[in-house]
Amino acid sequence: MFEGPVQRLIDELSRLPGIGAKSAQRLAFHLLSVEEADAHRLAVAITDMRDQIKTCGRCFNVAAEEFCSICRDQRRDISMVCVVERPQDIIVLERTQEYRGRYHVLGGSLSPINGIGPGQLRFDELMDRLEPEGIEELIVATNPTIEGDATAMYIAREFKPQGVKVTRLASGLPVGGDLDYADELTLGRALIGRSEL
Amino acid sequence: MAIRHDQAIVLRSYPFGEADRVVVLLSPNNGKIRTVAKGVRKTKSRFGGRLEHFTHVDLVLYEGRNLDTITQVAVIEPFPRLRSDLDAVIAAGTMVEAADAVAQEEESSIRLFLLLQRGLKALEAGERGQDLITSFLLKLADVVGVAPSLTQCVSCGRLEDLHRFSFGGGGAICDRCQVEGAVRLRDGITDYLAVLADAELMSLPPGDDRLSGEARGIARRFVEYHLDRKLNSLAVME
Repeated sequence: MFEGPVQRLIDELSRLPGIGAKSAQRLAFHLLSVEEADAHRLAVAITDMRDQIKTCGRCFNVAAEEFCSICRDQRRDISMVCVVERPQDIIVLERTQEYRGRYHVLGGSLSPINGIGPGQLRFDELMDRLEPEGIEELIVATNPTIEGDATAMYIAREFKPQGVKVTRLASGLPVGGDLDYADELTLGRALIGRSEL
Repeated sequence: MAIRHDQAIVLRSYPFGEADRVVVLLSPNNGKIRTVAKGVRKTKSRFGGRLEHFTHVDLVLYEGRNLDTITQVAVIEPFPRLRSDLDAVIAAGTMVEAADAVAQEEESSIRLFLLLQRGLKALEAGERGQDLITSFLLKLADVVGVAPSLTQCVSCGRLEDLHRFSFGGGGAICDRCQVEGAVRLRDGITDYLAVLADAELMSLPPGDDRLSGEARGIARRFVEYHLDRKLNSLAVME
């Protein structure tokens, strides 16, 4: 046990994902040894994030204003919406620089075994966006897991009858991978989703 | 610490640490086993999709103090069609959820394993509808030793007029007996349930739309009563 404030910081840090008691202690003593201004900057960054960041009123991405920067961008193709599980997935897709539409964050994926049904995810909010935004295509970018696949199938079932085109990210072999090590499921999907050269 | 070989069906998995997953499997010889698949969430993981739910796999495990670590996986049966139909996913989810609820760790569970395997195979072959789940749940109750009495009254043994059902009492009740909490059944339900309890999952008799829904409801409530837990997979999609 250390002096009050140090121990308090260690306790708080060790509640973070992937940080054990030893790492928390190391981080706390590092913060004690750096310039006071550096430690304050970190503290202010944490409180600012909590105070200023909210959820985008349209796509449920993290936002500093009423709408996130993607939803505010006039150059975006608003007829196309990419449906993701979490806000972090948007960053990954944005890094590809291949997609110019908007997003919709569901807040997770369907997992009947864990008691997560359609009612717990933002399907109704997505349905409400269809008409006002004139959405023509939904690109489902949920994880290629059984939960992600179930979510994609649910979206197809609910949204196709509304006249919206529903597509799913292709799955197949990772770039740089070796065919030898591909599993049956992935290879099977790669074959189904093969493209003409 | 030793390396061992096993085969199993993946029941469920959940994220663990930065890129790992805890994978819970049902093995015919060792019952429910909890394992760690290291790095499986990375796109270039050598396990790839081999440890996805419902997959029947051959494993090499490195025994640990709490959890065994998966070092090699080969797919025996991937059940790919299960993943392309939402109804099949929900049905398979119900099957693995129920099997997960009754399976014990370090206890041989050959009958349970074979039942789950047959259930998934039936779904993969295109068998659908409520009757498959009903039949599976009734067989599961039998495997764990709580099969309901469907052809005779659980109170007096009478074979006729079985128009009520007692979940706590363990089966059908005739019109003469008074059992607290027994629910009234539609005509023909007990016979319908009895046929499904005995039928082969891969070749179920033609379903009856009038009775299927109620029969599944009875089987589900019966299993939930005796497992003392709700089956989420069916509940959340209703």
